[in-house]
Amino acid sequence: MSVAWIGSQPVSLMDAVRKASGLLKASRCPVFTIDADVHGTRSAIALAERVGAPYDHPLGQTLSREVALFTDHGGMFTTAGEARNRSDVIVLVGDIPPHHGGLLLDWASTQPRSDKLKKRSWFHIRGSEYSGAPKLAVRAVRVGGDDLSLGNVLAVVRATLQGRQTLSSLTNIDRLLKSLSAARFPVFVFSGASGQMPDLIMLQEMVADLNKKGRAGSVFLPADEAAWGMALTSLWMTGFPPRTGFTDSLPSYDPVRWDIQRMIRDKEPDLHVWMSTRGGQPPSKGTRLCLIALERTAVPVQGTAVTIAVGQAGLDHDGVCYSSKTGTFRAVQAAEPSQLPSLSSVVRQLAVALPGRKALVC
Amino acid sequence: MKALTFAILSEPEERLDLSPLTPSRLAGLSQVQIAKLRIGTSSHPVMVGDVFNVSGTDLHSIVFEGSTKRFDRVGAGLTAGSIRVDGDVGREAGRKMSGGSLTIQGSADDHAGSGMIDGRIEIKGNTGSYLGGPLAGEMVGMSGGLLIVRGKASDYAGDRLRRGIIAIGKGCGGYAGYRMIAGTIAIAGRVGAVPGYLMKRGSILFDRHPTELSPTFVPCGEPDIAFSSLFDRFLMREKIMNRPLLGDRPGRYGGDNAVLGKGEILFRRKF
Repeated sequence: MSVAWIGSQPVSLMDAVRKASGLLKASRCPVFTIDADVHGTRSAIALAERVGAPYDHPLGQTLSREVALFTDHGGMFTTAGEARNRSDVIVLVGDIPPHHGGLLLDWASTQPRSDKLKKRSWFHIRGSEYSGAPKLAVRAVRVGGDDLSLGNVLAVVRATLQGRQTLSSLTNIDRLLKSLSAARFPVFVFSGASGQMPDLIMLQEMVADLNKKGRAGSVFLPADEAAWGMALTSLWMTGFPPRTGFTDSLPSYDPVRWDIQRMIRDKEPDLHVWMSTRGGQPPSKGTRLCLIALERTAVPVQGTAVTIAVGQAGLDHDGVCYSSKTGTFRAVQAAEPSQLPSLSSVVRQLAVALPGRKALVC
Repeated sequence: MKALTFAILSEPEERLDLSPLTPSRLAGLSQVQIAKLRIGTSSHPVMVGDVFNVSGTDLHSIVFEGSTKRFDRVGAGLTAGSIRVDGDVGREAGRKMSGGSLTIQGSADDHAGSGMIDGRIEIKGNTGSYLGGPLAGEMVGMSGGLLIVRGKASDYAGDRLRRGIIAIGKGCGGYAGYRMIAGTIAIAGRVGAVPGYLMKRGSILFDRHPTELSPTFVPCGEPDIAFSSLFDRFLMREKIMNRPLLGDRPGRYGGDNAVLGKGEILFRRKF
């Protein structure tokens, strides 16, 4: 089985690597899109630094919103484990991605450690934009108002908590206020998909308000765990999340300037390196932009100059991935080991084939 | 003396960072030295001479003849003198400007006037999002000066405005005055959703009743205050508006009650 193609012609891996490194060398403005486990991401970022390319994640828009909560505002966060052990009131906010259903069910099956006789209360703050599908994994008291967006519902909850006047009332607001006033450790659970950036900031400021009189926290559940893992890996390597560039030799973070999808729309790059161990559609597909694809695929990606098939961590080979349940990284074993090379091994070969022939530091 | 003029030779292939082209940063440089300044942002960056034909000698008056949306950070860090751009510009025009004047004949992209401290920016066309707002990781937006947009502004105009005046001539998108700390935003024309969301203090002025206010803004009647006529006169004297924005006894909302509740939205009662 072939793992490398130039255009649609199968070639040896070394030929494909040589061709790809030639394109990288000649490029004036290469850009990288990276969706991989820790090792793949580290190698890809090291290569991006070598060739002076900015990088982003395929879900860069959502990831950027999640990151902005931390970079632009901050918040009061706790871990999933602390929420499981200590929270006596859990407030879900907006849409919670369905893949976190298991975590919510786990919490629902336990009681807070501080008071095992007390049943944990569940609420769900939602706005008119709430889709309702898929159904929440747990039963929760709905807090909302007719035709009020999530941002407005959160604003009303926060103002009411401070005893201030508002022009709207919410269903079950009294039950929520009563539970929050009696709670020892209420926890608000949200995701980057829960709402717009202002909604998440309103939520975090409400948690800060609650901490003036008692203790409260929030649990952030990323919209995509692999994307959040990639963001953390990027932080460790460069000090910045994705949408970081190296054009001044030092890393610089700019969520608009280095938005790879925007750059491609505005025809700024001349080479796009698409690295995805989960597949997906390169944003440059259908454009005239030169494309190198390092992707988990059995056939050449249409419209690419070079395609190299790579394996996925946890499926084709062992790896390290992020887990929301533990709030950190975990080792994953290959479920169906295959001969596909790992992304990090291919990227290391690419680096050695570049002028200077220096190996990557990771 | 003829103004120092940068005439565009051709559309650049990459985005340009034009922050080095301000009077204070060009002071003491010959035209040859100016032509060798690096302004490109790719891994093989272009220099001034690759993109512009440079002429004129008056450093206090800079003109860009012809421009594109790839001109980022025009007039960034301007402290004195004037810059005029005959066309559109990209992001962060007039960023951290602390004096002088910047005039853009076309439109500007996101973050125009970001972190502006003093001086005057006038944009004849439209602007992108986050007018006067802070960049990622910064805590405060515009903190002084006068920022005028003759056209329409996009979302989040005046994000974290700390001080100064923003005037918008043809309406704006959602979240105008978002997270405002203080200062004044005057807007004529249609306004998007939830203006003043998360605002602490400051004033947002409209020439009509806002339609999609957050329920945490409450009506406070029609106060008979001197401010409205004083500010109307200021806007007309500065040729920002050609008729009173608020008129007598404007309507008033107080908010955002989810935050401090010390901000205000004033609006003209009859349009």
